[in-house]
Amino acid sequence: MAAMVAFILFSIGILALVLRRDLVIKLLALGMINAASILFLISIGDRPGARPPIQIPGEMGILADPLPQALVLSAIVVNFAILALALVFVMILVERYHTTDSIRIEQEMARESEEEETLCL
Amino acid sequence: MTKDRVQTILAVGIIVAFAALVGITYANSHPHPADSQQYLARALEETGASNRVAGIYLNYRLFDTLLEVLVFSVAVLGVRHYLQQSKGMSLPTLSESEVVQTAVSFLTPLALLLCSFFAIFGHISPGGGFAGGVIAASGLLYVAIAHGMKAIETRLNPWRLALAEKAILLSLLIFLLVPVAVGRIPLSDLLPKGTPGQLLSGGSILIYNILIAMKVFIGAWLVIAAFAQHRGEL
Repeated sequence: MAAMVAFILFSIGILALVLRRDLVIKLLALGMINAASILFLISIGDRPGARPPIQIPGEMGILADPLPQALVLSAIVVNFAILALALVFVMILVERYHTTDSIRIEQEMARESEEEETLCL
Repeated sequence: MTKDRVQTILAVGIIVAFAALVGITYANSHPHPADSQQYLARALEETGASNRVAGIYLNYRLFDTLLEVLVFSVAVLGVRHYLQQSKGMSLPTLSESEVVQTAVSFLTPLALLLCSFFAIFGHISPGGGFAGGVIAASGLLYVAIAHGMKAIETRLNPWRLALAEKAILLSLLIFLLVPVAVGRIPLSDLLPKGTPGQLLSGGSILIYNILIAMKVFIGAWLVIAAFAQHRGEL
């Protein structure tokens, strides 16, 4: 079940990342892909009837795998770092070109570099 | 073929690959891998922390966690640096209603309490420094929403906070690297492991959790404050 949710979130994220032109939507899609991967990695460690890997005196039974849970912490922190920095760069681009449309920003940049070349000539 | 079509085909390929990964993982229903079984069997005695996840990321994989904290610091540094360079917009100050202010005066102490609980009891219950720090920063964000950024900045100077963040990072590094330099392992040798389940157990994990919670709290708040200042007001 968790894996299905992860797959759906991952698909939506990848498609939005590629097909949408808005930079902010692209960043949200990136966050969604990250959440989906984290959900998938956590769900790998689960077994039917497993308890969280925390020792409670007197309780026995199968425990969930603690290793993926410890490792996705890096993914969460790196995702936070990437999203915060990318958002700052999007803000700088918006201040300069007054749009969040990635294709229009590319066109503007190409036009600017052409103008610079003609000025140099 | 146009660039768009190539991108779409690549995206569909990645989705199919992910589906295959999920399918293969779930088709082979098996017990935990050998590494995980070893951690499950030995982590409790070796680390002394009842929360095995905390035992793994703050004992066996402590350097990994330290570098994560460094990544976090670099992100905070980058956000503050680039936002200082670009000029901000100024928005009119919004004043929130009495209802929001009353709710915030109830929610913020709760967030700070949860932060300290998660940090102090991170090795014997679910939680940990990272989660606690983010919760405390969101508690401060409520105050900023209700009373404005100015109310916080007069009490908490961002420059001093940035200095405190660096100081905590330095103390984490010293606490970790000085014992290593003289040939001792910081987590096993410096502090006793104690009885698992007690508050004073797990060696140095408690100290690491508290330091990480403070660091993440300050770092997350600095990022929020940088964005809010750049925009003018929350």
